[in-house]
Amino acid sequence: MPQPDGIEAAIPALRAYARALLHDREAADDLVQDTLETAVARARQWRGDGTLRSWLFRILLNRFRDGLRRRRAAPVVALFPDAPEPPVPGDGEARLALAEVHAAMGRLPEDQRAALLLVALEGLSLAEAAQALGVAEGTLASRLARARAGLRQMTGREDPAPRPGKGSRP
Amino acid sequence: MAPTPSDDDLTLLRHGTAAQRAELAALAAADPGVAARLAEWDRQDAALRTLYPPVADEPLPERLRAALTEAPRSRLWPAAAAAAVLLALGFAGGWFAGRIAGPAGGDLAQAALRSHATYVVETAHPVEVAADEEAHLIRWLSKRLGQELRAPDLAAEGFRLIGGRLLPGDAGPAALLMYEDALGRRLSLYLTRAEGSPEDLRFAEAPGAQAFWWIDGNLGCALVGDLPRDTLRRLAIAAYHGLTDT
Repeated sequence: MPQPDGIEAAIPALRAYARALLHDREAADDLVQDTLETAVARARQWRGDGTLRSWLFRILLNRFRDGLRRRRAAPVVALFPDAPEPPVPGDGEARLALAEVHAAMGRLPEDQRAALLLVALEGLSLAEAAQALGVAEGTLASRLARARAGLRQMTGREDPAPRPGKGSRP
Repeated sequence: MAPTPSDDDLTLLRHGTAAQRAELAALAAADPGVAARLAEWDRQDAALRTLYPPVADEPLPERLRAALTEAPRSRLWPAAAAAAVLLALGFAGGWFAGRIAGPAGGDLAQAALRSHATYVVETAHPVEVAADEEAHLIRWLSKRLGQELRAPDLAAEGFRLIGGRLLPGDAGPAALLMYEDALGRRLSLYLTRAEGSPEDLRFAEAPGAQAFWWIDGNLGCALVGDLPRDTLRRLAIAAYHGLTDT
């Protein structure tokens, strides 16, 4: 059974992930609160298969899908309002590039966004992320590749044509 | 030179074992296209980490701290609040009827899918009577439906009963039993009196949930959840036996 300390230690990562997923701070904390309540209530049932964080992310994603389901059943509530850009450091061009990535993330399909953030942002291993998402690792790998290709095309950083690429930017 | 591996393959290697990452480094050294792709992915990862840093330097809101210790309250996560209000209105006023249309499967399946969508998102009070009062719950629901009921045991599939509630059905009261597994996935078993001929197991679906339903004797039953179809079918068969076997 996971210790409350272990769950508490995961809160900063869960909040960052939920913000990146929803682009809305209040809604993100609502989702994290729901996740924590469920995790605490279900802690005794956790059998320790997989890591604590993959279990927590899996609960969060189940709750996220419940929310999406609700939204789809009813008239559309914008999931991605024109979110204000998060405050980011850097000069003009770097800021623009980041704002572009932020906007592109908002246009990715939810399953791709959820998958990419688990590995790229939270650093979950492929196995952990696959467990959190409830999919096979091969499925996850192609979902990640599609997410990355989508980001590449939307941000216009590189020609979407196949490799070889045009050389990296500094 | 070997053909350039696909992005899927590169992804598997990039997140693989030390040996696989070494293999990837060798591929990148030999193929500028691979090197460019990996550099691009590194840039994407760096951009995401800059955009969405861990929320560690902000004070922890009291409600999140409380969530770690207190018994949870009944609440929808309010990103969906507006939709939930509409749903509640619709549920009361019939607005919702027909919004979830199963491609097959009649009133019973639709009513079950609607009820599932309404209650599955409840964190702590998806049920009126919790499973620790199972005997009372089942007596009460049996009395209201005018039909002896049982709560099937789905523990073999990892789902335990968390409780139940009484609902207004199309043809009289209906009962909803809710189950949950260790991952927080929920199933609802919808039971109502049914007139008409017996029906074998049939499938119906709505966005985000699927149902297997059947009619046995005077009882119409539907098991609803968002699970792989084979898993849900197995659970439905277990529920059928749990309801009928003596």
